[in-house]
Amino acid sequence: MQFFRHANSIYGGSDVIIGASYDLLVWFVAAGAAFILMHAVFMAVTKTGERASH
Amino acid sequence: MSTSDITRPDSAPTGRVLRHKLIDRIYHWLMAISVVILMVTAFLPILGWKFEWLDLHWITGVVLTLAVLFHIIRAIGWQDFWAMFLSGRDLRDIMGSSKPGKYTPAQKLYHLGVSLLILAAIATGLLMLLKIDTPWWRRDPYWFSDTQWGVIYAIHGFAAMALVTMVMIHIYFALRPDEWRLTRSMFRGWITSKEYLDHHDSKRWKAKEDA
Repeated sequence: MQFFRHANSIYGGSDVIIGASYDLLVWFVAAGAAFILMHAVFMAVTKTGERASH
Repeated sequence: MSTSDITRPDSAPTGRVLRHKLIDRIYHWLMAISVVILMVTAFLPILGWKFEWLDLHWITGVVLTLAVLFHIIRAIGWQDFWAMFLSGRDLRDIMGSSKPGKYTPAQKLYHLGVSLLILAAIATGLLMLLKIDTPWWRRDPYWFSDTQWGVIYAIHGFAAMALVTMVMIHIYFALRPDEWRLTRSMFRGWITSKEYLDHHDSKRWKAKEDA
């Protein structure tokens, strides 16, 4: 997995960064999905715990 | 519209409390539509759906820039600017169980994150306008070196991808039943007085009744 997109400079072939790697997009989506899942599970479990204690 | 003080002892908790004025709701939805258009025009071509995305993308970016500028000016001049900033008391609230003011510490933290990402995307996006022809100027990509342009594009890309995460989380909370009062308030402006008294510290958010 790469963090950046690279290209050869028109002035001499050296490698330059041209932007963020779009391969990371799936990881950002996965991070959002993971947060949502963990929060939903946490809220469901704590709500169940509250009901049980009453 | 009545502006009686909901926190007064003789105020019945049966009415509505104004949470977002119409102008702020219009701003929110204009920003939301802009961000969705920007994401669609940015990421669909990358995912393989080819179309003429550039004009719609930069014009929407300029609209978003103007909207955010309006929001900043309004927050400084007409709203309680510090109501959305994290304070030491917010950090203590996270550990305790006291009620928040208008916004919870989590909402303030989210706003801070989105603000930084949007401002980074806007700042780099405005610089990227130098590389395209518009009705107002001809492209001039020689302001920056290749490496500097690479950094500008990288910041723009990382901010845009991180905003995808933030938008997902935002929509999730908007759809949660326990947060519907806030979603409703972003459509209709108000929460009920009961919701206000149940979820907020009236000393920290001195709201007015909305008749």
